[in-house]
Amino acid sequence: MKPHALATHHVGIHRRHRSAAARLLDRFLHRYLALPVGVGIALVWANTTPERYFVFAHSLAFLVNEIGMALFVGLIMQEIVEAVMPGGALHSWRRWSLPLLAAAGGMLGSAGFYLAYVHGHYESILAAGWPMACAVDIAAAYYVLKTILPRSGALPFVLLLAIATDLVGMLIIAPQYPTIAVHGGGLGVMLVALGIAGAMRALKVRSFWPYLVICGTLSWIALYREGLHPAFALVPIVPFLPHEPRRLDLLADPPDDDAVHHFEHEWNTLVQVILFFFGLVNGGVLLRGYDTGTWALLLGALVGRPLGILTAVGAAVAAGWHLPRGLGWRQLLVAALASSSGFTFALFFATGVLSTGPLLAQLTIGAVGTAAGSLLAIGAARLFRVGRFAR
Amino acid sequence: MRRVAVVLLTALLATARLTPAVQNAARAVETLPTRQDSLKFAVLGDNGTGEQPEYDVGQQMAAARTTFPFDTVLMLGDNMYGRQDPQDFVVKFERPYAALLQAGVRFYATLGNHDDQNNRFYKPFNMGGERYFTFVKKDVRFFVLDTNQLDPKQQAWFDEALQRSDDRWRICIFHHPIYSDAARHGSDVSLRVVLEPLLVKYGVDVVFSGHDHVYERLKPQKGINYFVSGSGGQLRKGDVRPSGLTAAYYDQDQSFMLVEVAGNEMFFEAVSRSGAKVDSGVIRREPAGARNSR
Repeated sequence: MKPHALATHHVGIHRRHRSAAARLLDRFLHRYLALPVGVGIALVWANTTPERYFVFAHSLAFLVNEIGMALFVGLIMQEIVEAVMPGGALHSWRRWSLPLLAAAGGMLGSAGFYLAYVHGHYESILAAGWPMACAVDIAAAYYVLKTILPRSGALPFVLLLAIATDLVGMLIIAPQYPTIAVHGGGLGVMLVALGIAGAMRALKVRSFWPYLVICGTLSWIALYREGLHPAFALVPIVPFLPHEPRRLDLLADPPDDDAVHHFEHEWNTLVQVILFFFGLVNGGVLLRGYDTGTWALLLGALVGRPLGILTAVGAAVAAGWHLPRGLGWRQLLVAALASSSGFTFALFFATGVLSTGPLLAQLTIGAVGTAAGSLLAIGAARLFRVGRFAR
Repeated sequence: MRRVAVVLLTALLATARLTPAVQNAARAVETLPTRQDSLKFAVLGDNGTGEQPEYDVGQQMAAARTTFPFDTVLMLGDNMYGRQDPQDFVVKFERPYAALLQAGVRFYATLGNHDDQNNRFYKPFNMGGERYFTFVKKDVRFFVLDTNQLDPKQQAWFDEALQRSDDRWRICIFHHPIYSDAARHGSDVSLRVVLEPLLVKYGVDVVFSGHDHVYERLKPQKGINYFVSGSGGQLRKGDVRPSGLTAAYYDQDQSFMLVEVAGNEMFFEAVSRSGAKVDSGVIRREPAGARNSR
């Protein structure tokens, strides 16, 4: 999840006049609560009246997963584009080299532990689930570190690590979309979509609507026809929107008239509603459906990733890299654990790769269980007296 | 007066036996009829452990074949547990069922969660390299599904294959039961909401599944007869929690099934590792006209 899309925006004048209920709703929508609440409702529903739940979930799955989630992925893409453009946090090699190494180490660690567990139990059918073990819940990492280490180098470090990891994960799962048939002709439609987007950019169209409605729809059709995951429809379109560099100081973005930020402000609430339904539609699973895939995913995310991150950073430091200012090894351990929750992205990757069946159920339980990574980070911070627990 | 009551009661019972609901329900039978032109097959699931109970079941199957000459075995998945190297195919499949294989019995496998997907290329499993496929024996069409992942392509294939079938009997086999009273796994409801509408729409008669390491026969659900036979090698003793859906069950020892399809009747027996008959019955399918009206 894209943290700054979750951020409370600065509407102080209006806020004074808001009721407590409105503030609660605002907090619910903007503080990463929509999806967990959706998952919680789904879990209770699925384990009390499962048939009703699964009929409901199946009826909404396409609308939510294939169409609605395109907006969510679009916002993630916006984050990435702004981070890598000149002035953005990922633009400088010096800034992102260490987080990128850590991301690579984290992916190797999580995938390695996941695959080792799966193959150790001779359930090679689960091997396809390894991208889910790699997924990092950006928002969970953000809010945990914002709470524990609000002003250290850990926050941008983990955010860059998470964005890089999830970008690679998305590239891996996009072609694995389970579809009935490839209809072809998508390339031509995509070229038309990109041509229109390029023309609008050349004509300095600043409203985001034409980009998203016209080009986004065409792109969605193109991907669907080619058997690629249509939730990625906005990925090739977002770079054409006007941008400004992303600073990763996420809660402090000032309001502006930039088209993309306008897009973000307009859609943040809608994306949170979509994420609520995403959790509701995909989070429901019979708890007795746990099996090898569940444990493999938990092991990969909660053990493999932190170990991979620490090993990669250790190797980098031994090779002459320097830890970011204010980030010692204890802080790094907490940061690595904070990145171990896959939750939103693990669920998204799972639904992108796997179809209805017990494998999806096993991995869904594991994906939800990785939320424990946030608790592990807080526990480690308390144990090692890191950040706000130092006093 | 008493004689009138007896006559009325007898007439009532006779009428009840002819109603579709009763015809469809299984009733106990003493022995399989072993008719000359019938289709005879065995069913076993979750068998590929390579341990003694699997070998015992294999011996019982071979013994049963001396009086009930089946030529087909349906394997309901988890055909191989643990390592699946070439030597394992010998220890976990070829040796336990050597007598059957030598007699020319053909095995048809479905993939379970413990099976390597590449096992579909293993010739004695007769899967033709496919995760899901269909085949015909006499007037029975079998549909073999891979329920590890019920992807949209497989669903579309299943829909089309059912639509094309004009066979007298339609029998589905897949690993994960959509109805089961076993405690460990139980009914897979997420699969049920996808599969059941198709099974009902096209009048599938019988579904065999494994995954839960017990034997269970469910009461017909929406006109379809469900069996769980997942103790061909594995066993989860005492795992069944009987409910209103349970027609019969056996969870004290490994077991397999013998089935005979003759005309509009399907006779079945569940046999334990020691050779005891633990369940039996006959299912009478509705005539073709009634099937289409489902």
